[in-house]
Amino acid sequence: MTENVVQNRLGRLNAQASLGLIGVYIILILTLSRLSPYFLSVNNFLNILLAVSTIGLIAVSMTMVIVSGGIDLSVGSVVALTGTVVAQLSHRMPIAAAVLIALLIGLTVGAFNGLAITRVGINPLIATLGTLSIARGLAFVFSGGLTQTIDNDAFGFLGRGFLLGVPFPVVVMLLLFLLFHGVMRGTVFGRSLYAIGGNAQASRLAGLSVSGLQIAVYLISGFSAALGGIFLSSQLGAGAPAAASGIELSVIAAVILGGTSLSGGKGTIGGTLLGVLILGTLNNGLTLLNVSSYYQEVARGAVLLLAVGLDQLRLRLGTRTRRG
Amino acid sequence: MTVSDTRPTPLLAMRGIRKQFSGVEVLRGVDLTLHSGEVLALLGENGAGKSTLMKILSGDYTRDAGEILLGGVPVEIASPRDAERAGIRIIYQELNAAPDLSVAENILMGRLPRRPGPLGALLVDWDTVYRRAGELLAALKAEIDPRQPMGSLSIGKQQIVEIAKALSGEARVLVMDEPTAALTQREVHLLFETIASLRAAGVGVIYISHRLDEVEQVAQRITVLRDGAVAGDTRMAELTRGDIVRMMVGRDVEQLYPARHTADGEDAAPILEVTGLTVPGAFADVTFAVHPGEIVGLYGLLGAGQADVLRALFGAASPSSGQIRMIGQTVTLRSPQDARRHGIGLVPEDRKGEGLVLGMSVAGNLTLGNWPAVARGGVLQGWREAERAAHWTERLGIRMSRDVRQEVGTLSGGNQQKVVLARWLEAGTRLLLLAEPTRGVDVGARADIYAAIDTLRAQGMGIVLVSSDIEELLGLSDRAFVFAGRRIVGEFDPSRTSQETLLAAASGAEGK
Repeated sequence: MTENVVQNRLGRLNAQASLGLIGVYIILILTLSRLSPYFLSVNNFLNILLAVSTIGLIAVSMTMVIVSGGIDLSVGSVVALTGTVVAQLSHRMPIAAAVLIALLIGLTVGAFNGLAITRVGINPLIATLGTLSIARGLAFVFSGGLTQTIDNDAFGFLGRGFLLGVPFPVVVMLLLFLLFHGVMRGTVFGRSLYAIGGNAQASRLAGLSVSGLQIAVYLISGFSAALGGIFLSSQLGAGAPAAASGIELSVIAAVILGGTSLSGGKGTIGGTLLGVLILGTLNNGLTLLNVSSYYQEVARGAVLLLAVGLDQLRLRLGTRTRRG
Repeated sequence: MTVSDTRPTPLLAMRGIRKQFSGVEVLRGVDLTLHSGEVLALLGENGAGKSTLMKILSGDYTRDAGEILLGGVPVEIASPRDAERAGIRIIYQELNAAPDLSVAENILMGRLPRRPGPLGALLVDWDTVYRRAGELLAALKAEIDPRQPMGSLSIGKQQIVEIAKALSGEARVLVMDEPTAALTQREVHLLFETIASLRAAGVGVIYISHRLDEVEQVAQRITVLRDGAVAGDTRMAELTRGDIVRMMVGRDVEQLYPARHTADGEDAAPILEVTGLTVPGAFADVTFAVHPGEIVGLYGLLGAGQADVLRALFGAASPSSGQIRMIGQTVTLRSPQDARRHGIGLVPEDRKGEGLVLGMSVAGNLTLGNWPAVARGGVLQGWREAERAAHWTERLGIRMSRDVRQEVGTLSGGNQQKVVLARWLEAGTRLLLLAEPTRGVDVGARADIYAAIDTLRAQGMGIVLVSSDIEELLGLSDRAFVFAGRRIVGEFDPSRTSQETLLAAASGAEGK
């Protein structure tokens, strides 16, 4: 009976943790707006959102992957590969066809990851590390190592257009957050992902198709990385084989910062949005304050370690108490 | 109920131990005394404070108040290392073995003997390692090769290795937490012999178990904890089992097992018919049937094949020959999904590892996979889920501290097991496979689980029960089949069969 009271308190502590993240964000905003007169404006916030739109797009699906107990390192390379493919093909065929092919490539990489992990049994980290290298290599092969420009106004709208004053990529990113928030919270598919991430064996014995769900998750991840590649190349007006290098780590950092557990089964899309915003706002603020980009990297890393470190501490306190 | 002890200085005395977590008192002034050469059974329901008390003794937790005396001298135990130095050894319920290392390395971990000579401190003396480990195992009469990798041993043998490990240093106080949970009857016997020789050597043993029949056999004295305080401290001989249960639960538990019912399903068509089923390397030529409203028990020593039958019935093993018929239809079971589709449910042996998603809510676990009841077009309907969860938690008496949204991992073992049962009930299961349904569950909750099982049976569900607890198997089953050497060697009527008969059949003596 006493045990239960302890656990009740722990439950409340958990709720406080996500409130903590919102608190951190508010403090960050208050501090930056005192330090810089340019920080607190609608335009600057749209800037922040635009700057994180590619990372945000991918962070949505990365949250699903990590919640399901996996990880996808190949996303950055898929961004580069699909960007160069669109750029190359845009000179040879209608842009819509080029975009379609790019999306198919994203799905193909996702399918490859999914099958390698479920059918062959390769660890997700290794499997997607392999496709990270393969996709990046192919991006260089297709482009001959050169950045190829894209001249198409309609395509340019994707990355540079505005909808009611809001940058189009931001609209798409926010819609995706909303959509996947619903999927994770309110659908059988989302619930199943939490289950297989929490305990794959128990889920299998409850009759869930664990491998089918995993393949679906990597397909979604490949697709949204391709979407990221299309938007980024539109934004830049070009496809570069070296683009988005290392972006997978920023994405994972944002997801983890948002409270998703790397061991699976826990995490929310809302938390990821906060994680993406905190990292984006931090970058923006430090730039406004004329902090060198070298130090910005240091700050990013420090924030991530601090947030996750606090979380671990909380967890450890939790389990110590719970075993009583 | 306290016994005044006339013997001089106890080996171990814990006095007025208090501990609280986040303001909640888990131990409220507990006294515990252990004499050398004595086995003290520490009893209590889950959450009564047994583990916390033992973790204070092992240095995992620090106490808030109270003192610990060893041989009459106050000692400070602030870390597991302090406990080790004081000669206190704990064998935990969950084994802490390194599966890829050899048995000998596991036994002597952290104390591997070194070679002589200038570089000796860096070089392990392997001959001595294997010899010392071999001696320790021989002292326990265990036939285990110290060079074997730990992971290749059965759980029971790993347990013996853990004991050897605990005894490799100078042990004065040995704590065993549910040591027999995974042991076969023969291994239990061996363990009790070991404990007897430890007693003779003057070691004090604290024995934690939910199995009262074992406690009666092995312990001289019992201390019962309830809600963080001592509810009784008595010599074993002065007690009946009813007394012990009353001290633990705080009330009378009239009857553990449900009353025997008249088998009326016998005439109805069987739900499950297994004919000549063979899975190479697991079991051969197994034939039995389960009728509606019938509990069929499968008993055997560890590895005799009975557990593999459950696996095969749940699509986790491919038979080379034989037939499985569900309600008259021959079925092929290639995956748990196939099994589920044919109305077969499994309550796995490892509740936490295979039965539940611990970090998920009670409601989420209950409805896991039961999508048609709670979702429309792939979209979960919160109110349906809440309604179904409320229905089953009430029906099976699942006790929670908050509500169905709380994590299932925060429930007690017995209530967790009821969540697994409820999931299969919700799925409309016709044949339920139960593997060790009450392992590690305390007496009060056991009676609850048995009642829940009986409810399912009364509804016409067919149940196959595999249990290594003979008393439970005989208490629940309508018919019992005994396995030996991977075959069925006999069928028994549990109401007219003694534990000894069943055990003899399983040990390879002639089945009838």
